[in-house]
Amino acid sequence: MKIDKRRVSHLDWYLIINGLILFAIGIFNLLSATSSFYSGSYSFIMKQLISFSIGLILIFIIIQYDYRIIANHSKLFYALAIAFILLVLIIGMMAGGAKRWINVFGISIQPSEFMKPILVIFLANMLYEKKRAGQALSLRDISTPMLATLIPFILIVKQPDLGTGIIIVLTSLSILWFVGLKKSTYALLLGVGAIIPFIAWQYLMKPYQKMRVLSFINIDADPSGFGYHAKQAIIGVGSGKFFGKGYMAGTQHKLQFIPEHHTDFIFTVFGEEWGFLGSIVLFLLFMSFILRCLKIAQNAHDELGSIIAFGVATMIYLQFAINVMMAIHLAPVVGIPLPFISYGGSSMLTVMISTGLVLNVSMRRYMF
Amino acid sequence: MENFVKDDTTQENRKYKWCKWLLVLTIIILIIRLWDIQIMKGSDMRKLSEQNRIRIKKVVAPRGMIYDKAGRVMADTRPSFNMYIIPEDIKDFNQTVDGLAKLINIDREDIIDKMKVASGFPPSFPVKIKSDISMDEVAKIEANRIYLPGVTIQIEPKRNYPYGMMMAHMLGYVSEISDDELKNKSLKGYSLGDNIGRYGLERAYEPYLRGKDGEKRVEVNAMGREVRTLETIEPIAGNNLYLNINLDVQLAVEKAFENKKGGCIALETKTGAVIALISRPSFDPNKFASGITKEDWKAITTDKMHPLQNRAIQGRYPPGSTFKILTAMKVLGDGLINEKTGFTCRGGFPFGNRVFKCWKKGGHGTVSIHRGIMESCDVFFYNVGLKLGINRIHDMSEAVGLTKITGIDLPGEKNGLVPSTEWKQKTYGQPWYEGETVSVSIGQGAVWLTPIQLAQLSAFVANEGVTFKPQIVNRIVSLEGKTIKTFEPVMNTNVKLKKEVFRIVKEGMQGVVNEPSGTAYGSRLPNISICGKTGTAQSVGEKGKNLGDHAWFIAFAPAAEPSISMSILIEYGGHGSSAAAPVAKLITETFFKERVEIKEARIHENR
Repeated sequence: MKIDKRRVSHLDWYLIINGLILFAIGIFNLLSATSSFYSGSYSFIMKQLISFSIGLILIFIIIQYDYRIIANHSKLFYALAIAFILLVLIIGMMAGGAKRWINVFGISIQPSEFMKPILVIFLANMLYEKKRAGQALSLRDISTPMLATLIPFILIVKQPDLGTGIIIVLTSLSILWFVGLKKSTYALLLGVGAIIPFIAWQYLMKPYQKMRVLSFINIDADPSGFGYHAKQAIIGVGSGKFFGKGYMAGTQHKLQFIPEHHTDFIFTVFGEEWGFLGSIVLFLLFMSFILRCLKIAQNAHDELGSIIAFGVATMIYLQFAINVMMAIHLAPVVGIPLPFISYGGSSMLTVMISTGLVLNVSMRRYMF
Repeated sequence: MENFVKDDTTQENRKYKWCKWLLVLTIIILIIRLWDIQIMKGSDMRKLSEQNRIRIKKVVAPRGMIYDKAGRVMADTRPSFNMYIIPEDIKDFNQTVDGLAKLINIDREDIIDKMKVASGFPPSFPVKIKSDISMDEVAKIEANRIYLPGVTIQIEPKRNYPYGMMMAHMLGYVSEISDDELKNKSLKGYSLGDNIGRYGLERAYEPYLRGKDGEKRVEVNAMGREVRTLETIEPIAGNNLYLNINLDVQLAVEKAFENKKGGCIALETKTGAVIALISRPSFDPNKFASGITKEDWKAITTDKMHPLQNRAIQGRYPPGSTFKILTAMKVLGDGLINEKTGFTCRGGFPFGNRVFKCWKKGGHGTVSIHRGIMESCDVFFYNVGLKLGINRIHDMSEAVGLTKITGIDLPGEKNGLVPSTEWKQKTYGQPWYEGETVSVSIGQGAVWLTPIQLAQLSAFVANEGVTFKPQIVNRIVSLEGKTIKTFEPVMNTNVKLKKEVFRIVKEGMQGVVNEPSGTAYGSRLPNISICGKTGTAQSVGEKGKNLGDHAWFIAFAPAAEPSISMSILIEYGGHGSSAAAPVAKLITETFFKERVEIKEARIHENR
C-alpha cells in the first residue's frame, strides 16, 4: 500500500456519503424506470451496479497517487482520450442515429464522457502556475487551452453528441474564468459567444437539432415529435404533484410516453413518482455535493488542486442543471445524463472518476 | 491592463461567492418551475396523465370463408365474446382472479397460466383468458365489472364450422398460436392471441385465409377503459376458398360413414378435383377455435381410435383384392397372358410347403382374366403373380404412382409401400421369397396403401394411364370477388399401355358390379354403369387380437366415359362387397343425380 494512513483519515466522508446517497436514489429510481421494459429491470440494474463497482476500484486507484503526479501525466490521458474519440468516429457503433460508442470486449464505451474529467486535469495542469502568480489570462494565454478544448469539442459534436460537447466547452470556459481573465479577453469571449449561436444556427446545426430548439421556444411547433415528448415529460413531472404518485407508480414513463426515460429523461420518472417534495430533496442533495466540491477547491493545498475541484464542481453542476431544465422544458433537448441517476456505464464511471479526483485533492490539503 | 495586484484571497472568495449564488439561483429557478407545474398545474397534469394515455388495440381480421364448388358455406366466422385481462389495470390480483373464477366456469390456475405466458409483454397488453364466452357469462361479467378491474370483453370474429365433426379432416382447424411458435422467426406477423391454421386446408392455405389485422388507437383513462378512438386502421378479411368438393356427395358419404371407421375419397377423373373426402372417426374443429380445454385435448390425443388421423390420406392398409387390378394390368401389358388364358381354381394353390387358399372354398373352376377380376379369384392371381415376379409388380406400382404420395393439397399425406427384392434386401437384409409374391399379387403381405392412392389406381384405369394430382381447392377469391388463384390440373402419371389392356380390365371391373356373378352385383345402379373392384383385406389386428377384415371398394363411373373415381375403406368393416361397395353406389347416385339436374337446367335455359 502506497497510501499513507494519515491520508485515509483525511478522506472527505461528507462528499463520499453525499455521493452514495445520490447513487442509491439513482439505483432505486432506475429500478422503477426500467420495470416496464420488455427485458425487465434486471440487466439494467446489474450493469449499473457493475459500473459502480468498477468506479469504486478506479476511485481507489486514483486516490493512491498524488493528484500532482496524475496531473503530470495529464497530457498522456488527454492524448489517449482524443485517440479513442477518433476511433469512435472510425469504427464506432451506430445507435439512435449517432456514433458515440465503441465496443471493447463486448462492453460499449462512450469515450467522449471520459474526456470531461481528463480535460479538467489537463487544463488545470496547464494553468495552475499562472493562477498562482495571480496573472490574469491574456488572449495568447487562453489560445492553447481553447485549442485543447475545441479539438475534442469538434470531434464530439461530429458524432453527433452536442450535449457532451456543450458540457466540455462550458466547463473549460468556467475554468478560464476561475483562473482569471484580462478585460480584453472577457470582451473577446463575450463577443465570440454572442456570434456563435447565429453561426451555429446558420451553418452547423442539423435539422433535428434546430427542431429541438424550435419546439423548445414553441412547444406546439412539432406536436408529434419533440414537442409531444416535451409535453409528455412535463405532464409526467407535473402529475407528480406535491407528494408524487409513489414509488413504481409512475404511469407516464411506464406507458412509454417519455422516450429515454431511463437515461436523459430520468428526472421525469423521479419527479412523477416523488413529486415536488422529493425533487427538492434531490436538488438539495446535488447542491450539497457541488458546494462540497467548491469547498474542497477553496481549501485545496495548491492552485492545481483548486482548479481540479472547481472544474469537477462546474461539470457536475452543468450536467445537473441542464439535464433537469431539459426535463421540465426550461432548456432545449440535448443528450446530457444526470450524474449518479441516469443509466449508463460511461457516465457513471466519469462521475466517479471526477469524484475520485476531488477526494484526492481533499485528502492532500495538508502537506506532510 | 491592470498594473496593480488585487488582494488575491478577496478576489478568490468573491468568485466562490458568485458560484454559490449561481447555484442557489439555479435551484430557486428549478423549484419555481416545479412549483408551477407540480403545484399550480399539478391537478391538471395529473388529469392529463390519467386521461391522455393512448393505446393501440388490435382489431382481429375475419378469416376467409370456405365454400364448396357450388358456393355453399363449409366454414365461416361468427362474432364471439372474448375475455381479456389487462394486467396493468388490476388493482388487487386476488380480487380480480378469484372473482372471475367464482363468476364463470374457469380455473384460477388457468387464468394464472395464461397471464404467465404473456409476462414478457408490457403490462398494458391485453391477455386473452377465455374465448367465446356465453351470453350468460358476458352478462355476469358486465354486471360485476366494478369488482373486476382489469377484465375486459371484446367482440372478435371466431372461426365456425357449421357441419361440426363432418369434414373436419379436410377443413382442419385453427387454434391460438403458442409461445414457442411466436419465437419462431419463420412465422412472421403473428402476435400473442392470434389464431393459426393447424390442420387440413386451414393449415395448407393459412397465408391466403388469414386476413390482415387492423389497429385502433384509443385513448384510455387510468382505469384502462377506452375514452375515444383516435384512429382506426380497418382489418382486411382473409381470402375465400372455393373447393372442388360437392357438398351433396360429401354429406351423403358422411352419413354413410356414421358409426364406422375408415376413409373415402372421390375424384374427378379428368382433373383430379376432389369431390369428397371423408375420414372417421372424427373430431369437432369448433372446440379448437375457442381454445380447447386440457381435458378435451387429452381425450382427443389419447383416443385409441386416433380421431386426428386423416385415414383417407394417412391411413395405410393392405389393399387386398383391389390390388388385383394392378397385377392384371401388368400381366396383360407385358403380354404374359391374354384374354383367353385360363387357370384352374380348386379353392387352393399349393406352393412350397403350404397351400394358399382362394376365398371361394369350392374353387372357381377354370378361370380367365374377366372372371378372375369379376369374381376376384385368388388362385388366378396367384398364378399370374408368380409369372410376373415381385419386381414387375413393383415397377407397375411405380408407374401408377403408388410408391409416391399423390400430392393432394393437404398437409401430412403418408406414402404407401409396394415391396421389391431390393426393398427387402435393404430393409431386412434378406432375399425375397417367391411365396411372398403369391401374397402380394392379391394385395396382402408387405403391401400398404392409403385410400387416396387406391383412388388414383382406380382413376388410372378409368383414364387409361393418366392421373392427376388430387386438388381440393378450386380457386381462391378475394373479399371483393377477384379471383386470386386458380389451380390447373397437374398430371401425375401418363402411362402408355395397349388399349386392349384397359378394355379387358374395365370390362372385368364392369362385371364386378353389373354381372350376376360379380362380387358387387348388389351395388349396381339401373341407369349408370359403375366399374369397381372389391377388396377384403386381412388386417393385422391390434395386439394380436383379430378385429376382422378391412372392407375395400375402388370404383369409377360411368363405364363408357368415366368422370368420377373413388376408393372406400371401412376399417374392420368385413367384406368389401357388403360394407364398402354400397357407399360407391351412394356416391355415384348422388353425384350423377346432381349432374342430371344441371343438364336439365341447361336444357331449359337453352329453350
